[in-house]
Amino acid sequence: MRKKPKNRVRSSFFATLRISLLISVLFVVGLLLLGSMFGGTFGTPHQLTLDFMGPLQSTVTRAATGVMAFKNDYVELWNVRAENKRLQGLVDKYLTELGEYREGYSSYLHLEQLLEFKEKQDFNPLVARVVGKEPAYWYQTIVVDRGKSDDVLEGMIALAPGGVVGQVIHTAENYCKILLANAPSSAIDAMIQKNRIRGILKGAGEKGYVLHYVQKNVDVSVGDHIVTAGIGGVFPAGISLGTVSVVHKKRRGMFQEIEVSPGVDFQKLEYVFIDPTDRKKILRDMVPSTER
Amino acid sequence: MLLLSFWVLGIALIVAQTTLLQFFPLWTGRPDFVFILVAFTGYRFAWIPGITLAFALGWVMDVVTGIHLGFYPLLCLLTFTALKVLTSNSPVKESTYQIPLVGGSYYLVQMFFYFVYSLILPEELPEWSWSETTQRTALIVISAVPLFLLFNSLFEYVQKRRMRSKPPRRRQRESL
Repeated sequence: MRKKPKNRVRSSFFATLRISLLISVLFVVGLLLLGSMFGGTFGTPHQLTLDFMGPLQSTVTRAATGVMAFKNDYVELWNVRAENKRLQGLVDKYLTELGEYREGYSSYLHLEQLLEFKEKQDFNPLVARVVGKEPAYWYQTIVVDRGKSDDVLEGMIALAPGGVVGQVIHTAENYCKILLANAPSSAIDAMIQKNRIRGILKGAGEKGYVLHYVQKNVDVSVGDHIVTAGIGGVFPAGISLGTVSVVHKKRRGMFQEIEVSPGVDFQKLEYVFIDPTDRKKILRDMVPSTER
Repeated sequence: MLLLSFWVLGIALIVAQTTLLQFFPLWTGRPDFVFILVAFTGYRFAWIPGITLAFALGWVMDVVTGIHLGFYPLLCLLTFTALKVLTSNSPVKESTYQIPLVGGSYYLVQMFFYFVYSLILPEELPEWSWSETTQRTALIVISAVPLFLLFNSLFEYVQKRRMRSKPPRRRQRESL
């Protein structure tokens, strides 16, 4: 019974305390509000609070910025990866196209060269496409898509803008085989263009040609042009064969050995021109031989 | 201990509200975490720690974000007092009503402060928008659900720790 008044006193005390605290806080807040509205002061407590909160915000902002930057970078990385794939595809496509264009341009240049060569000739050459090559050392031959049906006969010569290609050795109805001038079995009457000195140009396979029977006292130097001599009636005179690459003057013997690099790149032959002008002569030569 | 824990939590929420939430796109909204915490204190805290916490958090928020100092502590204190009075010895205190009541009080506080501002600083007020206020309120209600779970967990954890740390004699006397 005695405790009840005590409790009542205590509770009334706390209630008074609560109300007084609430009122005092509200009073302070009201003062703050009025002070800030009319005075606009940002006092020491405010400054301390802001100084306390500032580093926290700064830390979180930095961390969040770092995380966001990482996230953005990561997302960007995905985009970059996708973009990279797309661009790689485009690069591949463009490289393929570029290859085609280069090939087209190269073909254009080549065909232009061929056309120019064809127009220069006083004969009407037969254009033949190289359809096969025989890379063996001893049989340097090519197969072209012209044959008997195109009046191609054995013994006819084949030319290219760079010079002599070779001679037709076998013919079929629609195709013929040409022995290249650089075949070891080939021998052409040739001469050094600058001094008209003659010799025999023999094929040396991949090394090109070797010019034989040129005397040691003859002035020959690297870069001199070698052309057909026109002897024997197979090749007309003056067709380019190549240029002197190396000159060997041995102690013994009366001749010097001259290496000639071909004017025609046999590895890259695509078209050749078969000269039909000597056809009658070849036929004439063939008649007595058959009669014999 | 309880006051200190919630003060630290409040500071963390203020920091999060003023930093992390700013990185989110506008359409996600930026709920007022401090208001939710003050509402929670209205439900669970006693008068003296509640007023202290509401004022402290309002103060900090005011310093960090306020233009006219005093408005935010006033808002916090009014919210706390209103909810405290409303829920004392009332069935509204039940958890079923807590979240809707947070939304309702937020809506009313918005209207009240708009009214006060319109009297004191009418030139600084944007045009009142029912839809925006409703959206903000909805956001507060949605955010209040997980935050109340968090606050409750922390509250109960701290209470349990406090009970354990009390000497057994005193606890016995209290239980009697």
